[in-house]
Amino acid sequence: MSSEVNTDFLHDKRLDAIAADLLRPVGISKGFLIWMGFLTISLMGCIYAYYIQWDKGLIVTGLRDYVSWGMYIANFIFFVATSLVGMLISSVLGLIGFKWVKPIARIAEIIAVAFAAVAGLVIVSDMGRPERLPYVFMYGRIQSPILWDVTVVTTYMVLSALLYFIPLIPDLAISKGRMGHQPKWLQATYEFLSVNWNHSSYQYKILLKAVRILLILIIPTAFAIHTVTSWLLAVTLRPGWDSSIFGPYFLTGAFVAGSAAVVIMMYFVRTNYKLDKYLTVYHFDMMGKLLVLVSIVYLYFNINEFLVPAYKLKTADAIHLHELFVGEHAMLFWSVQLLGLILPIILLLFKFFRKPFPMLVISIVVLVAAWFKRYIIVVPTQENPFLPKQFVPHAWMVYQPTVIETAITMGTILLAVIIITILFKLFPVIPIWEMAEEECSGEKDKHQE
Amino acid sequence: MKKRYLSLLLIVLISFRLSAQEWVVPAENGAKLSPFAFSDSTRKAGAVLFQTNCKSCHGDPGKNNAIALVPPPPDPASAKMQGNSDGALFFKLVSGKGPMPSFKNTISSTDLWRVISYIRSFNEKYVQQIAPKSGIAGAAENVKVLLTWSKETNQVQAVISAMKEKRIQPIAGAEVKLFAKRYFGNLLIDEARNTDAQGKAIFNFPKDLPGDSAGFVQLSARLTDDAAFGEAKADTTLAVGVPTYRPPLNEQRAMWNVVQKTPIWLLLAYIFTVLAVWSFIFYVLLQIRAIYKAGINKNQDTIDS
Repeated sequence: MSSEVNTDFLHDKRLDAIAADLLRPVGISKGFLIWMGFLTISLMGCIYAYYIQWDKGLIVTGLRDYVSWGMYIANFIFFVATSLVGMLISSVLGLIGFKWVKPIARIAEIIAVAFAAVAGLVIVSDMGRPERLPYVFMYGRIQSPILWDVTVVTTYMVLSALLYFIPLIPDLAISKGRMGHQPKWLQATYEFLSVNWNHSSYQYKILLKAVRILLILIIPTAFAIHTVTSWLLAVTLRPGWDSSIFGPYFLTGAFVAGSAAVVIMMYFVRTNYKLDKYLTVYHFDMMGKLLVLVSIVYLYFNINEFLVPAYKLKTADAIHLHELFVGEHAMLFWSVQLLGLILPIILLLFKFFRKPFPMLVISIVVLVAAWFKRYIIVVPTQENPFLPKQFVPHAWMVYQPTVIETAITMGTILLAVIIITILFKLFPVIPIWEMAEEECSGEKDKHQE
Repeated sequence: MKKRYLSLLLIVLISFRLSAQEWVVPAENGAKLSPFAFSDSTRKAGAVLFQTNCKSCHGDPGKNNAIALVPPPPDPASAKMQGNSDGALFFKLVSGKGPMPSFKNTISSTDLWRVISYIRSFNEKYVQQIAPKSGIAGAAENVKVLLTWSKETNQVQAVISAMKEKRIQPIAGAEVKLFAKRYFGNLLIDEARNTDAQGKAIFNFPKDLPGDSAGFVQLSARLTDDAAFGEAKADTTLAVGVPTYRPPLNEQRAMWNVVQKTPIWLLLAYIFTVLAVWSFIFYVLLQIRAIYKAGINKNQDTIDS
């Protein structure tokens, strides 16, 4: 983000064309209503599943005394992980000065807001007594990583929301007069949220300052949020979790999942909103390169995480690694590692696979694998506790998720999709003013054409 | 997959073997009877004891909600449990086996009989047989136990007496056990002794038994023959142990302590970080306000959208 905004674009005709393009998908359309209807009805089913769990307790899940963190906590880690991409795209790449992230930054922020917001709810789904949630604040201990996690997830969500909202303000002001066909309430919302924006250079100065503070602040916060999430597991002595590299291991994995999510959303915006002029093949190519980079870093941490304990084979680690490599979870483990990590790295090295459609397919596989990767991290460790196993029933030792549990997990994903859909549909998803400024000041990256 | 079946088979075999193994009660123990008649008050007391000592594994009688152990703890109302004679139940409570602990030193035999009276209240067909009175019957309520300690010999002396024929008389030939109270249950000191003609029983006290910070140990002397003496016992605290001061683990600030005893460095780090980050967030919120205000005052430099 540059330190000054050249406001010439406000008087340029090209702004009208850009605004018309980017505002075209905004608003309540028939497709939007059908899609939202579908999501809402599906969510109702999942809420009913949660009602059953609320009524009967966690006994309706596959969770028992030994595996007490199953699908829910795996899902929580997945949500936190995916939300981190907001920081990677906007802050790290934006502050370095990569111009190609400009049309993608808001998509990344929307993913960050949606996934961070739902992550908190996912934790509640794992609680047998959700009405005791306030106890975390009433009796929480500063010594506990759980309290740190609550703190950083909340902070990250607020920062992401601000980082979504503040750069949106000029767009709201630009859009105000250009949406005569939109419902009154939406126009009123734009009016209210545009906080008297009149494009003065003074306001732009304040905006750039505020955004810069947020961009810097969100980097340590994002590092903290996923490092602390990894500590929830790593501060125990259990095989598979007792690792000093769990923080960076989680963090780099998060970038892989998040980048894949961004690519999927980019493809959706490009084709459904017909915005291929703004999200070009070049952008997909760059995202492909980014995905390769973060995947290679993640692969490096994977090698460390599995090779070093496998070389030493401490008793408990040996049982755990045996389960992963050739035992009960081997199929899932190798699928996740090969399809979700190694194969994408190899394919994305070729330019052909960095084109939009191949990128979409690869990203979907990577994102699904990312979810199962968290499952592989959470569940097998608990199936091999340090506690004696000889007097316990079989159901305690082997975790089998139930339909209700799966439905509730699906519900959280639906909820994130609903938030993303609403933000995509009600506000411009690509920054109008930044696109216009770039176009008019001739700063546009040459490669983008 | 093959491995899972193997482990499943192994579990089935183990549980089969464990359940097939009968818990054999020696005949003389099985024939033992309660020294007193079961009544509402014994059942009530037994229910309280059951709640604190048995329910966590056996569940609520008749509800079949015992926890899943191998072998499964039987429901107290079940035919399996009720099929035991009173003496067999008493024997099993005293001796324990596998996951079932022994309550020999933690619950007095009178209280164990009360638990049995509670268990029997779930069996409508049960008709109680009471043990015939033995020993010096009738003296039960008046039995007194007096504990003293001699420092020179490091011995604890128990003197047992009872009111008989309107005067206090020593009880000879009664078996007495001395216990020291520990964190979990009672520790038998020396061994069971019989009182001499003066009603005295002498116990050799170990020199190295840890006491509290002043060396106090809670002692309890009990007559083992409940049938004859009822619950005669004496609880006393004597300075017979080695003074031991172990600062409790939750005394000082530590990671495992309550929030009020958070380590200072952690408290400061947490508060400082949260305040620092959130002060920036509030600063940014103020900037939004500044944008709003600037919009009111500076209407020049505006484009009409």
